[in-house]
Amino acid sequence: MSAQAAPAGVFPTFEQVFQGLAGQIGMLREMAPRPTLSDETRLARAVDTLIEETNADEAVWLESCIHCGQCTTACHYFQATGDAKYAPMRKMNLYRRVYQREISPMRWWFRLVTRPVKLKDFEEAQELVYDSCSECGRCTMVCPMGIDTASLVHHMRSAMVAAELVPPELAALREEQKRQGTVFGSSPEALRKMVDTIRDQYGIDIPLDKDKAEVMVLSSAVDLVANGNGLLATARVMNHVGVDWTICSDGFESANFGLLSGDMSLWKQQVDPIIAAAQRIGAKTLVIAECGHAYPALRWNPMVRSGSLPFEMMYMSEFLGRQAKAGRLRLRPLEGKVTYHDPCKTGRRGGAFDEPRSVLKAMNADFVELPANREYNWCCGGGAGIFLLERATRLRDESFKIKIREVNETGADSVVVSCASCRLNFEAGRQKNHWDKRVDSLVELVADHLIEGPETGAAKAGGAAA
Amino acid sequence: MSLLEFARGPAIHASLILLVGGILLRLLGVLLLTRGADLSRPRDAFGNFKGYRTVFSRAWPSDEFTTATRYQTAVAYAFHLATLAVVIGIVPHIEFITSLTGLSWPGLPNWIGVALGTIALASLIALILRRLGKPAVYNSTVEDFITWVIVALPLITGLMAFAHVGPRYETMLALHILSAALLFAYFPFSKLMHAFWFIFSRAQSGLAYAHKGVRI
Repeated sequence: MSAQAAPAGVFPTFEQVFQGLAGQIGMLREMAPRPTLSDETRLARAVDTLIEETNADEAVWLESCIHCGQCTTACHYFQATGDAKYAPMRKMNLYRRVYQREISPMRWWFRLVTRPVKLKDFEEAQELVYDSCSECGRCTMVCPMGIDTASLVHHMRSAMVAAELVPPELAALREEQKRQGTVFGSSPEALRKMVDTIRDQYGIDIPLDKDKAEVMVLSSAVDLVANGNGLLATARVMNHVGVDWTICSDGFESANFGLLSGDMSLWKQQVDPIIAAAQRIGAKTLVIAECGHAYPALRWNPMVRSGSLPFEMMYMSEFLGRQAKAGRLRLRPLEGKVTYHDPCKTGRRGGAFDEPRSVLKAMNADFVELPANREYNWCCGGGAGIFLLERATRLRDESFKIKIREVNETGADSVVVSCASCRLNFEAGRQKNHWDKRVDSLVELVADHLIEGPETGAAKAGGAAA
Repeated sequence: MSLLEFARGPAIHASLILLVGGILLRLLGVLLLTRGADLSRPRDAFGNFKGYRTVFSRAWPSDEFTTATRYQTAVAYAFHLATLAVVIGIVPHIEFITSLTGLSWPGLPNWIGVALGTIALASLIALILRRLGKPAVYNSTVEDFITWVIVALPLITGLMAFAHVGPRYETMLALHILSAALLFAYFPFSKLMHAFWFIFSRAQSGLAYAHKGVRI
């Protein structure tokens, strides 16, 4: 794909973005905070967190597992390694023991027949709930009991936060976001600078901090400190469809390391200013940048009564899909055969399936589904913060081979993703395996295929049938 | 009191009290916990109700997993159906249920009872062999094996009593009833409770995903 009529070389290619970020991620490990509390306190806090977060739903799921082993067929980490410890059911074992001993109506019995829980148990579970579970939910699709293991793993992550057992990279980013509201050294100033660069270099205007706007658009640290093309593409698309839009410098960050680390209070702390900003400017629509976990962090945030908010939250792919369906995107046809990878957080655990496909259809794409697609799509292996964990490199690399196999089977030349984290992981896998596929972001692909210029009444999204 | 009288009397009655009391305690103790609220706006206003279909749809694996789960699905179905038919279908069991409740229905011919009991035991053995053969997949715990033994015992002793093998008939029958008593007493403490949980577990996940517009 070539960026039409845009000066080349201002922003790095995504290959360079990936290499730059990989270097930064290496430094995170040294910045990670060390545990400050006594072992007893850390254990007590972890157990208390699980007790507090366990409702009837969690209790039923913990009760239901019969060790039938079917979840192993669905899990990319298990399938890639065949290692018993990565069986999804095993990721609930410690949580179940805490539940049985502390909450279960038969706790008097389970206290007799189970071992007391120690901090060491949580230390050992760290790898299971961070490195080897992207909370992708695929195991729920096969479980005869329908157990939502991903939700249980998320509660375990909350317990890990309480026990000061968050892996170093996520712990460092969590600390940074707690203090700065954003990550990777991004900031409102970085946003302003990026907006200026895009205006000066490309002549594309990004309305920053408008008092009132119909559409409020979020960005993400990755776009602001590394992948300028992401924000550039967003701006070109927004200006193309002609909506009244803005970015708010007091609520622009999609990434939420509260959700990723399991820190519920940080999750909320990040979401509140975004919602406040959207209300202040009278937005009707909040568009979440291509940052997979930001979708559940906002749109599916169980702590936000979003039904009573005066605006609708949607993911970038949903926004693009609706614009395409409404015929507001005038797009050149896409060359070559493409397939689409549903990010777990927007697909199986988000429900945004049709819209990204509508966009590809509007580009007259020679589109082919992955063998396992939509609800059954295989996770790329980098979700839920795992892309950032150095320790999980082997798990990521091995599980990505499933993705390579799936994409190769389609015969597509390129795979389209709509999630920065998936894209980074795909890029890592592409480079390591000298894979001959292209990996494109949906919004950047759309921006590169816009037909600019005065609208001719007859020009319709997608043009004539191929 | 002979062993048979003990088995037919206090043993089976005590175990039934444990069974019913234990199931109620465990079910109510869990289901009466508070429900976490998801305040986010559902994708479709009334779409969440569609989630309940997971209770039924998950009775069979989706096409995506048919091949991977074929053995487990087929053998588990054989085991559950054959066991259920034997438990409520053969004449001595019906007589026992009649003595407790007054209800009765026609029994299966003996040869069908034996055939079903054999299928149940054979499928149970097929399941444990697979569990032993693929330790990484099953992550078995001590409970898994204890449960298997406790479920297998009534099947083995029942078939032996029927076929008049092993000790004399009265002793074998007593052992069969005692093994059933053990199963009843153990049931509420064990993973056998999945006989109830599956409904709630599937419904919860079905609803949670339907909230987001996803059919699982």
